[in-house]
Amino acid sequence: MSVVSNKLAASPTLKPHKSADMFSKLVTLSPRFLLALLILPVIGGLISVLLPAFGYAPVLEHTTLGLHGFTMLMQTPGLTYMVMLSVGSGLISTLLAFTITLMILAAFFNSPWLNRIQRLLSPILVIPHAAAAIAVGFLIAPSGMISRLVSPWFSGWELAPNGMFPHDAFGISIILGLTLKELPFLLLMALGVLAQPELGKKLRQQHKVALNLGYCPMTAFFKVVLPSLYPLLRLPILAVLAYASASVEMPLILGPNTPPTLAVAIMHWFNDVDLNLRIKASAGALLQLVLTGGLLALWLGGEKAIKALFSDLLTNGEREYGGVYWQKITTVLTVFVIGFILLSLIGLIMWSVAGFWRFPAALPDQLTLLHFKSALMQMQSPLFNTLAIGLVTTLFAIIITLLCLESEQLSAKPMSRFTSLIIYLPLLVPSIAFLFGLVWLQQLVNNQAAFFNVVFTHLLFVLPYVFLSLASSYRRLDPRFAHVAASLGATPCKVFLQVKLPQLFAPILIAAALGLAISFGQYLPTLLAGGGRIATITTEAVTLANGASRRTSAVYAIMQMALPLIGFILAWVLPKYFFKSAHR
Amino acid sequence: MLANKCWQTLSRYSFCCVAFCICLVISFKSLASTQLQSRWQQIESLGKNQSVYFYAWGGDAQINAYIQWAAQQVKAKYNINLVHVKLSDTSEAVSRVLAEKSANNNDKGSVDLIWINGVNFATMSEHSLLLKQWANKLPNFSYTDPSNNPAVNFDFGIPTNGMEAPWGQASLTFYYDSLAIDDTANNTLPTTLNQLLSWSAQNPGRFSYPKPPDFLGMSFLNYALVMLHQQSDDTLKAQLNQPATAQNTAQVLNPLWDFLNKLHPTLWRGGKHFMQSGAQMRRLVGDTELSIAFTFSAPEVPAAVKRYDLPKSIRSYAMQDGSLSNTHFVAIPYNASHQQGAQLVANFLLSPEAQAQKQKAPIWGDKSVLIQSTLTPQQQALFKTTQPHPSALPLNSIKRTLSEPHPSWVNAIMQGWQTRFGVSQ
Amino acid sequence: MQSSLEIKNCELYRQNQQLLSLNEQVKGGEILTVMGPSGSGKSSLLNWLTGTLPSGFSANGEVWLNGENINNLPAHLRHIGVLYQDALLFSHLSVSGNIAFAMPKGNKKQRLEKIEHALEQVGLKGMANRHPDNLSGGQQARVALLRMLLSEPKAILLDEPFSKLDTQLRVDTRELVFSQIREHKLPAIMVTHDHSDAEAANGKLITLNLAK
Repeated sequence: MSVVSNKLAASPTLKPHKSADMFSKLVTLSPRFLLALLILPVIGGLISVLLPAFGYAPVLEHTTLGLHGFTMLMQTPGLTYMVMLSVGSGLISTLLAFTITLMILAAFFNSPWLNRIQRLLSPILVIPHAAAAIAVGFLIAPSGMISRLVSPWFSGWELAPNGMFPHDAFGISIILGLTLKELPFLLLMALGVLAQPELGKKLRQQHKVALNLGYCPMTAFFKVVLPSLYPLLRLPILAVLAYASASVEMPLILGPNTPPTLAVAIMHWFNDVDLNLRIKASAGALLQLVLTGGLLALWLGGEKAIKALFSDLLTNGEREYGGVYWQKITTVLTVFVIGFILLSLIGLIMWSVAGFWRFPAALPDQLTLLHFKSALMQMQSPLFNTLAIGLVTTLFAIIITLLCLESEQLSAKPMSRFTSLIIYLPLLVPSIAFLFGLVWLQQLVNNQAAFFNVVFTHLLFVLPYVFLSLASSYRRLDPRFAHVAASLGATPCKVFLQVKLPQLFAPILIAAALGLAISFGQYLPTLLAGGGRIATITTEAVTLANGASRRTSAVYAIMQMALPLIGFILAWVLPKYFFKSAHR
Repeated sequence: MLANKCWQTLSRYSFCCVAFCICLVISFKSLASTQLQSRWQQIESLGKNQSVYFYAWGGDAQINAYIQWAAQQVKAKYNINLVHVKLSDTSEAVSRVLAEKSANNNDKGSVDLIWINGVNFATMSEHSLLLKQWANKLPNFSYTDPSNNPAVNFDFGIPTNGMEAPWGQASLTFYYDSLAIDDTANNTLPTTLNQLLSWSAQNPGRFSYPKPPDFLGMSFLNYALVMLHQQSDDTLKAQLNQPATAQNTAQVLNPLWDFLNKLHPTLWRGGKHFMQSGAQMRRLVGDTELSIAFTFSAPEVPAAVKRYDLPKSIRSYAMQDGSLSNTHFVAIPYNASHQQGAQLVANFLLSPEAQAQKQKAPIWGDKSVLIQSTLTPQQQALFKTTQPHPSALPLNSIKRTLSEPHPSWVNAIMQGWQTRFGVSQ
Repeated sequence: MQSSLEIKNCELYRQNQQLLSLNEQVKGGEILTVMGPSGSGKSSLLNWLTGTLPSGFSANGEVWLNGENINNLPAHLRHIGVLYQDALLFSHLSVSGNIAFAMPKGNKKQRLEKIEHALEQVGLKGMANRHPDNLSGGQQARVALLRMLLSEPKAILLDEPFSKLDTQLRVDTRELVFSQIREHKLPAIMVTHDHSDAEAANGKLITLNLAK
């Protein structure tokens, strides 16, 4: 008895172990390192774009500050149209994705269909934007799947008709592509929030109470669940809005080119032979920053306005808003959305193995593996690069994330709101605005290490997702395990490595799979940071997307989708064999 | 007696002199050729085991595969690691070298070898961005018969000055879908520029050209410009081979704008949207959205059919009123990190084996720059062709070649096009 | 006509195993108490009555409310009020907002007056604009009660509503709830662990056994 009590008395006053000291130091420094890692490149990149925008570009022998960059920008023909296209396509696609997400949640809140839809749409999440754009492009083209299904028996078309999509001047193709890609993301984010044990249970019970009080299920969702759900969805929605208004892959593959969206135009100016266009491009990047910032402010303002306008509506007792009608519409809409997505994927797969497939045949004349074979022979180097960059980036991201989360627990202080916001920073600032600046800085420091530069740039975009994915699992760890281990004499380092990590094996693998998926799908960072010398599957796919062979680009798009899927399959299978937690 | 002895000595002396001179000449000559040889041997020994970054347009899977094949060959021969950096547009590489020069990077450039011609060559040459006097010293350069072959010494009329080594030749040829152009009333195959205009008016939405500054799109506009000036007086025609100036631009280009104003409303998408590249144009033919298209690489058409990317009903032909022709080259930037390796690769690309392989229709089908008369019979045998594909351009279809205008016209046309048609109203 | 809640030949199954079988009628103002160990299906019975039976459960039988068969009505049309263990007040609305939410449509001023009056009656005068998270457990329970009553239900179900309250509060709140039930003459069914609840209800008591 006394031996035991002696041991218990001794443990809280452990002498500082040398390795525990180092580990604790490492852990305490991690959050600051994370902040620096996220803030410095973004701010540095912005400054490196800010200076040339105002005329200060010593490389080009311009050292006088002035506004001629902006004058050049304002004189660009079609500038208003570019701006309207960017803003319009960004805002409309986000609104559509958000609205349809809410309708699906409301209509299927208590039904088993929600789970089924979740399972159906989860794989879509990891499809990179470029592959999604390629798939949608195939679908809506005049000779695409939709036309083929109705020709010639319904439409009478023997040759592909004069169509509008893709590349239509109104940006409808872009909106379609963005909506279909962002809708699963928002839906799964919302479902993720609802899957949190306490919050999800509370919201479900409140929904039930509302039902008992006579509210039809959809109204109950909007009046009871949404007000509590929305604040947790705000940041993902803002990230979607920021991306949609400033993305490059989607408009490049699906958008018009007379003129294109602002982001695509900026990219062309930066790449132009005439170096003086760099100044115009920097001014354009600032304009894009202002546009995206304006859209975010608009959304937040709209949020407040709706809150003010509709707060009365919440308690006016109106229980029925044509609920049955809306439920039917939502079902039809969900079927459409899932149908679209499935049809584009089917079309993609068919194109990758198609022999001759003349319009208007619905199926290819013959199937062949020629395209896969020839593509795989070409793909070896890009594939290697893709995997190498992905693995290194994800490894870094996971280590930093784990250390930061551990520091949160060791210091017993939750992360400040500031840090949580900074995590989202690379997702909210348009990448076209700071990437060129960042690349210029990287070249100033070190020109030759293209691989390292690409990994560093990828890290900026992978970190937020890995962090968000791991944070909830890490914070839900029962702290008593750590306390018990400490009371048994284990140093914090040992507790971390031998108690916490094995418990987190499955969430770590999922976060890793997510990080890999994000890294695989990066286009602009790879292109710029690698100076075009590093080819990945995604950069190849975008180059080939508007190229001569639908079949080859279909193969690349499928590779783009297959790689992350493999990651997730591993994340699902491996925990069943290693570090098995007791499951009944 | 003394005279005899003198004569004997003199003749012996002169004989020695002559013999000495002959020896000198022989040794100088062999020294020169050993110098040449040793210069090349030096390049070979320095260039071995290097990594060469070849910046070349990557939008065609066939060409990419050919470059991979060449990479394997130079790896086996010189242990050179040839990396194909795929570009969407050659101007990306030009701007890269320009940026490096501005950053005072004069010997560690990232671009070792660049596939180039026309405007891009003119830009790089103007800014002194290219290595000089190396191409004419390549051992295989002699196969192009340079003294009799202006095509390998001039690029769009500008002298190459040994800055670029020829790689292949191209002519603008057309191809169409025989199921879409069926020889009925308003649907006969157009074989001149004017016939093309009237055909497009009668069959709207079935033809277009890639958006400038795409190379193929610019070539179509060049072709149109040259054809539209066929009937002009000689001084005006001569302006095409002179640099574009403020004085002659309007006069030379106005017929082109008039033509395009008539053509655009009849084009695909009403002329409001133009496809980004020739590759996309080919895809639209395969999709049956377009009925006629054109290309600089006639063999790409049967190659595409073999890969199922174009239907079997495609046929190739050349315009009767003339086909725009040019040569394309490879060049080495002045600051390339691996100059010697790049030269070895360029030399390999000029070899009969590589040129014959390139010319094979299933591989790439790009016309060789080698002159058959300079080759040995074994080398000539490499170029024998098999039965042509039904969609291939029939032999000797190109009755008339047109040479490219001065490259400054490309810029002038592009500026004018952007102003008039760059933003759809 | 007197209000009544009838359970006709109810048979409740969980995964094809029968949990309980019941045939009861509750008249307006009466409280039927259902007791039994955990897992005997008490909460599932209430779920079935409100029409929110989760998957994995199935049932036979009919529910008749005030002489009408409401078996085929969806949950939100049944007008059966429920009080749970947790008050489950909506945190995005104030106290009066919570209550107003439950009330039928009407003139805004009249509704506010009604709410004020009701709050006064249960001793929560002046708390209309308070945030529900700032109330004590007992206060929250009273607000939940008001919310349920002002929605004008036709029957009331109580799912161990007092088990989270401490003893004295329990007695007071229980008295309040029962007196309201009797005053409004609503049929009520209560599920509880506590015998004192059953005694105070002074109605029929049914004890469920664990399924064999």
